[in-house]
Amino acid sequence: MDILFLILIIPLFSALILFITPSNLKLISTLHIALSALTSLAIFSSIAKLISGGEYYAFNQILFLDYLGAAFLVLVAITGFFSNLYATSYFKWHFQTGHTTLKHIKLNLALAHIAIFTMTLSCISNNLAIMWAAIEATTLATVFMVVSKDNKKSLESGYKYILICSVGLAFAMFATILLYSSSLNTLGDEQSAILFSQLLPLAGSLNPHVLMLVFIFALIGFGTKAGLVPTHTWLPDAHSQGPAPTSALLSGIVLKIAMLGLIRYYAIVANSAGFGFVENAMLISGVLTLFVAAFFLIHQHDVKRMFAYHSIAHMGVIAFALGIGGRLGIFAAIFHCLAHSFTKALAFLTTGNMTRIYGTNDMHKMGNMINIAPLTTVLFGVSICSLVGVPAFAIFVSEFLTFKAAILGGKFIEVGLFAIALAIIFVADFSHFFMASFGKTVGEVKFGSEMSLWENLPLIALAFLVIAFGIWQFDSFWYLVENGVNEIKGF
Amino acid sequence: MEVLTILMMISSVLVFGFRSYKLSILSYVFQAFCLVSLFFLLANLHGAKELFSWAIIAFFMKVCLVPAIIFYLVKKLNLIHENEPTGGFLVSIVIAFGFSIATAMVIAPIFGEFSLIKNETALVASIFIFMMGIFGFILRNSFIKQILAYCLFENGIHLSLALSAYNSHSLVELGILTDAIFAVIIMSVLAYHYHKTFGHVDISKASNLKG
Repeated sequence: MDILFLILIIPLFSALILFITPSNLKLISTLHIALSALTSLAIFSSIAKLISGGEYYAFNQILFLDYLGAAFLVLVAITGFFSNLYATSYFKWHFQTGHTTLKHIKLNLALAHIAIFTMTLSCISNNLAIMWAAIEATTLATVFMVVSKDNKKSLESGYKYILICSVGLAFAMFATILLYSSSLNTLGDEQSAILFSQLLPLAGSLNPHVLMLVFIFALIGFGTKAGLVPTHTWLPDAHSQGPAPTSALLSGIVLKIAMLGLIRYYAIVANSAGFGFVENAMLISGVLTLFVAAFFLIHQHDVKRMFAYHSIAHMGVIAFALGIGGRLGIFAAIFHCLAHSFTKALAFLTTGNMTRIYGTNDMHKMGNMINIAPLTTVLFGVSICSLVGVPAFAIFVSEFLTFKAAILGGKFIEVGLFAIALAIIFVADFSHFFMASFGKTVGEVKFGSEMSLWENLPLIALAFLVIAFGIWQFDSFWYLVENGVNEIKGF
Repeated sequence: MEVLTILMMISSVLVFGFRSYKLSILSYVFQAFCLVSLFFLLANLHGAKELFSWAIIAFFMKVCLVPAIIFYLVKKLNLIHENEPTGGFLVSIVIAFGFSIATAMVIAPIFGEFSLIKNETALVASIFIFMMGIFGFILRNSFIKQILAYCLFENGIHLSLALSAYNSHSLVELGILTDAIFAVIIMSVLAYHYHKTFGHVDISKASNLKG
């Protein structure tokens, strides 16, 4: 069986197994971990095949694995696995304290595999309409992972999530239809007129004016799902209300998958209407997103809500880097997707530990975490350091490259705006970090010790990756990103 | 063909405008039936055999399944009339109609340049219905009306797809329809829990998450 089929079938099969498995916590947890590992291994095999032999196709070219898609599949495999691994500990705590039921745990874990399936399909769809359907399906798969309780806040967040994302993505569907009818008219071949791999080299022959409209629709559509301002309003609610592993999955991968959708349109439209148009659109969107997120970030004292606004801010960074453009800018944007995925997954998983310790997300009711759970505090610190772009952490690399690309491109006003936004985020983050980690305990301590090493393993692994990608250059991943940039630039 | 597309436009205004949920749902059924008839007609007129299968699938999904789900939901929650939306019933219809028709007139010629089926009225209708759905989402406060608005712009998308790209791979149509059905089911389940928790379906009164 083709490996591209396999990486789709395994998560679907995993979800089915979890649905029908008897409600035994140990059994479903073990199965969940084993099946997640199997999915990730299969994904890595597919990427290895790409690295050794170049792009390949399946199912009449409807599925493919290109370098750009593979760079994002890395996130699905790594972040997905560690989020799933942590989910077993997280739900066990909640089950032991009577906050959840086995039925709910089973549903959540099974849905996580369906979410992995939809995200994998989004990465390997050569057909842009199927990619759209897969991205829309990521919302549908995760909505009941967000609505984890029958309370007002949870339901409100779920309502906003599904409605706003579905309405937003409707615009992306319109973009897809318009692109197809326009390309069909030019290319005359109904099979290739919707395939990314066929459209990209022929983009120069498409009508640039129509493609500009296509890009605006795509930016509204995928931008809504990615959390770009002004249609970001669902994101802080959904990310803050869902369980920690769900937030990690949403922020770590789902947002990036929407960004991949937008990048594919960016590539086609840039090669038709010119890079100037798409870069300007992304710059405006990026700067607006950065400043709005920075403003709201300052006011947050709910740790999960704070990280949710961070996600918006970093989507702004990615949009900004795409707006700066050039080889370096695009490279920085794709690299930032990976760096932010690991960092944000670590950050949200750390909030799972914090919620267990204090029984709340409110940082005003925390304090003295350094003495209660020193490893969790260090891991929280690693995520904060990376999020604000401290050197030797993964996000520093992409933010430095963005600065470099902007300065080399002579975009000094943009550099200034970027620096101001990042400075606001820096101040907001460290003040929050100190509030929760040091000083006296303000509220109640519900669990007064560090988690076990096994429970912290996914966090330690993610922290290692955050630092490793900040220090070393992983040739295989850089190879994927560099070739992904080549694809976008039309080389 | 023109008659069917105009009927679809009228029905989208009715879905948007009726205070009674039951009448809104019936208007949606009528619109979905017009869409299915249009698929059959286009399939005959243009020899687009793909549209025959679209029509059959759309009949079961849009004419039968989706309205049945929403109707069941409304009955289960014992909802009869929608609360007064922001700005009032009449004003919201005028705003939605005005902006939707204006947007449709601007965008339809662009679609028309490349569309496989170059029928101006149908192209205007497809964008008009889509925009009525978008305004339904923006201007109506009822969760049920917003689900219907979602169904409206989904119909608009399907009409656009049939006019512009009926020869796209059948997997595309299947993917979009599956997404839509799941979305309606999930939204309905959410609306049910929402009503159970809040005691109403007015989303403007839900303000637990701000800032």
